[in-house]
Formats: sequence, C-alpha cells, structure tokens
Amino acid sequence: MLPEPVASPMIVLTGVSRIFRRADGQLVRAVTDITFEIPQGQFVCLVGPSGCGKSTLLQMIAGLLLPSNGSIRVADSFVTEPSPERGVVFQKDSVFPWMRVVDNVEYGLKCRGMAKGERRTIARDYLTLVGLSHVEDAWPRELSSGMLKRVAVAAVFANGASVLLLDEPFGSLDYVTKRQLHDVLLRLWAQSDGENRRTVLFVTHDVDEALTLADRILVLHSGRLVDDLGIGVPRPRTADSLLMEEMMQRKHELLAHLGLEGAPAPAARREEMT
Amino acid sequence: MTKSFMRAVRQHRASLLVLAGMAGLWQILSMIFRAEALPGEPMVPGWQVLVTKTFLSLSDYWQGGLGVESVATGGKPSYLASLLAVVSNSLDTVIRLYAGLFVGAIIGMLFGLAVSWSSWTRRIVELPAQFLRTLPLLAMVPLFQLWFGTYFVGRVAFVAYGVGVIFFAGVINAVKNVPQIYIDNARTLGATRFQLYRTVILPSIFPELRSTTLLSLGTAWTAELGAEYLGAQSGLGYIIVYSEQFAYLDRMFFVALLFILYASISYAIFNSLSLRLLIWVPRAGRDVLVEPKRAGNALS
Repeated sequence: MLPEPVASPMIVLTGVSRIFRRADGQLVRAVTDITFEIPQGQFVCLVGPSGCGKSTLLQMIAGLLLPSNGSIRVADSFVTEPSPERGVVFQKDSVFPWMRVVDNVEYGLKCRGMAKGERRTIARDYLTLVGLSHVEDAWPRELSSGMLKRVAVAAVFANGASVLLLDEPFGSLDYVTKRQLHDVLLRLWAQSDGENRRTVLFVTHDVDEALTLADRILVLHSGRLVDDLGIGVPRPRTADSLLMEEMMQRKHELLAHLGLEGAPAPAARREEMT
Repeated sequence: MTKSFMRAVRQHRASLLVLAGMAGLWQILSMIFRAEALPGEPMVPGWQVLVTKTFLSLSDYWQGGLGVESVATGGKPSYLASLLAVVSNSLDTVIRLYAGLFVGAIIGMLFGLAVSWSSWTRRIVELPAQFLRTLPLLAMVPLFQLWFGTYFVGRVAFVAYGVGVIFFAGVINAVKNVPQIYIDNARTLGATRFQLYRTVILPSIFPELRSTTLLSLGTAWTAELGAEYLGAQSGLGYIIVYSEQFAYLDRMFFVALLFILYASISYAIFNSLSLRLLIWVPRAGRDVLVEPKRAGNALS
C-alpha cells in the first residue's frame, strides 16, 4: 500500500470561469465558478461527459489558457503561463516525430540546459521504467500508439514536474494497452513519496479508469463542479477491486452524474449481488 | 560504386529510355529540317554538329589563362579552350545562383518566421514584405543592375530577392500549419520561445518547405539567367545573348542543354539531401512497428 500523501495544497482553484467567443460572436461559458484544492501528492481524476469543460480546466491549470475569472495557484504561484513544473500528457500524440525516442524523453531537460550525459542517463532510466529501453533510438513513426503514450509519459516524468496533468491520455487505446499504461503510470507516480510525490490530475470520461486510478474523483457537468468523491479502496487495485462495495457505490454515483443511470441505489445493488 | 550506379540505372530505366527517345527524335528532326539561320548555322543542329563544331566554337568565350590563349587575342579554337569556357562560365552562373539561393532562403525564412514571432514583428514585417512580393521579378532586373551592378553582388542580390519572396510566403504558410499540440507540448516541457522555434517550428516546417525549395530552385534559375540575359558580362546567359546576336542557334541550344543538366543535378542533390533530413516523416508502407516489451518487464 502506498504511503498517505502530504496534505498541503498543491493546486488551488478559486472561482475559475472561462468564456469563449464563438465564430458567430456568441459567448459560450465552458467552465463556471470552479473552486477546489488538491493536496500535494494526491491522484485526482476529473470525470464528466464530453464537452463539460474538463480539458479546458486542465489547459488552464497547465497555463495554456488563461481563466476569464478567478485564479489558479500551483505550489503557491499564480498560473499565468506554461511551466515545466506542470507536465502535461495530451490526448493527441504530442511526441515530436522529428526526434528519436530518447531525444523526446530528454527534451525538457535539454531545454533547461542539463548536460548531455546526465540527461541521457535520466531519459534511459525512464525509458526502462516504461518498457521502451529497446527502442530508444527508434523514430516515433516506428512505434505504436500505446508506445507513443509511454514515451509521452516518460518525457513528463523525466522532466521532474511536480504536477502532472493528463488529458484523456489513454482514451484511444485498446483495453489491454490501457491497463498496462495504468500500471506504468501508477508505478512512476508511486516511485517517490512524501514531499516528492507528484500531484496528478487525470481527465477521463471512463468511470472504471477513474475508479482504478484515483484517490479522489471530481465530477464536472456543464462546466460546473457537481461532486467530489473520495476513493478509500487501498492500492494496488485490480479488476476485482471494482466489484467492492465502495467502488460499486461510487460507480453508480458517477454513472448517474454522466446521465447513464438514475439516482444511485447502492443498497439495492448490494442486495442483488449477495 | 559500380553496383549502386547500376542499381540507379535499373531504377530509372524507363526515364532513361524516354530521354534516349527524345535525343533520337531530335536527331531525326535535324535530318528532316535542314534550314539554316545563316549559312553553316542549322536551325535544328544534330548531335554530330553539337559535339564537334558547336562545342569547338565555344572557345570564343574563353578569356585566356591556364596556358590556353583566348581566341580574341589570336589563339586557335581548341577543345581545351572550349571546355575551359564551359566550366568557367558555368561556375560563374552556378556560384551566383547558389549564393543567391542561400541568401534568399535565409532572409525569406527569417522574415517569414518574424511574422509569427510576435504581434510587433508581424506588424513591422508582414505588410512591407507582402508588398515586395507583388513586384514582378524580371521587371526588377534593370533596377537591381543600377543599384547593385551587373557583377557578382548584383546577380546574387537579384536571385536572393526572387527566392526570398517565395520562402517568405512558404514559411508563413508552413508555420500556420504546425500542429498546435507540438507547440503546447514544448511549452509545457519548458522550451523558451527561441528553443521553440529552433527545436519545434523549424523541424516541423521542413516537410512543407521542401516544395517551397523546389519552387525556389526553378525561380533561382529563371532569375539568374534572366539577369544574365539582360545585362551579362559572363555566365551561361551571357553566351546565349552573344550567340543570339550572331544567330548561333547551335550554341544557344548547347547552353540550353547545359541548363537542363545542371538543373537536373540540382534537383537530384536536393532530393537526396531532403530525403535524409526528412527520414522521420511517416510514409505509407515504409514503417514497421516495433513491438513493445511485455508489460511485465516494465512493471515487475
């Protein structure tokens, strides 16, 4: 079981809203008055139906978008632009196709001026951890989608970000590859503990994925934060973990938020199962 | 070397056959149309004329030196003098052309990149550069001759202008097409603006700039020869102008063949270089997916 995270707030959102102007001039409110805190070291999943503002919120925390109202603080600094302290794994393939795999993984370190030998050692370590040590000199075009995601994850971890923002990173992958990458991600996350544990905000619309990964699940609907659920089931979690009572209850609550079921009825479901 | 040459011949067998066919057709035409522009100057010179009389007559353009006297100072026409004339005039043309191409590509690229660098640089660069783009290239020849002279600097400046405007437009377009995901990824990994341009924007616009460069090669030849044609002291264009004055059709045709040869070599070299630089670009049917190691390896 992993050690408990330290409870100082790493990410603090206060009254965050984001308004877009469409091509026809109409204003669209993508995110409305979001307030929450994420303690350092916590693994949080942000769940909601498509178009509910999850990715917009993540991009604002990454500094790629600025909020129309409210403020975002990460590690006590206001977010005004992207920073290597906030690593992002994107939904689309973001691995640079003109760089070999190992160069992609060490890219951030190179940007910060780290000596070649040192950064290459770090990059190779992370490539080994994600199971890609045998393709460090390959071109991205030679890799599968799942392997490209591993490269992206390795690059973000190698860069030493204290906050990891993942925007539906495994949404396009098959079930087996997705499960493998969950394990890779959790293993990298659990590598360090205490103050060094990275804070993770993982956007997904996959309820099972959120239940497998998260300490806590934030639910977004129509741009508003509608629920904040803690997941107390111990790690490591397996497919069987999802059948535990707490998980079933959380799953029904989440499905209800996604509009797939009516109000959660955990007691009734429990009776059925027994 | 021999093996790779033979492989290249086999690969381009069909193209070589077409070229041989065209050469044969030209020979047949020279035998059918026997009209002469002036006595002894055939309108359609056959190959036997081109490689003997025509080539020898190019001695006229050797200025003297290297122990070979020029015809103008009393030397006799010789194949050596002809060869030296072809080489020296070709070098004049090719060096000016590539110097102009290089300078124009760099300047055009810098201006093109400046448009996307910041709103300030865009305001400063875009409108004047777009205005310069619209000026007709060959109409600018006299101005460039007066401003920069008819020798090396003038020619290079003119070719650079012709190439620069193409690169400027090409780079603006290519930068617009850079996927935002790469820019976002670089920024979140800590790239500064300069690093972003050097490591993301430049490599990602390379594939699109390939067609811009090919277009520029054609324009560079046009600009260089156009400039030589209108006010030359040396170079292949100068030979054409001189030949035209005396209705030496065979010499003009010979020089045109040299143009084709040099342009083909340029394209071949550029193709080879660009394919090496763009080895990372995915191409259908070429890429073999490397299998990942089993998860246990990573997760154990």
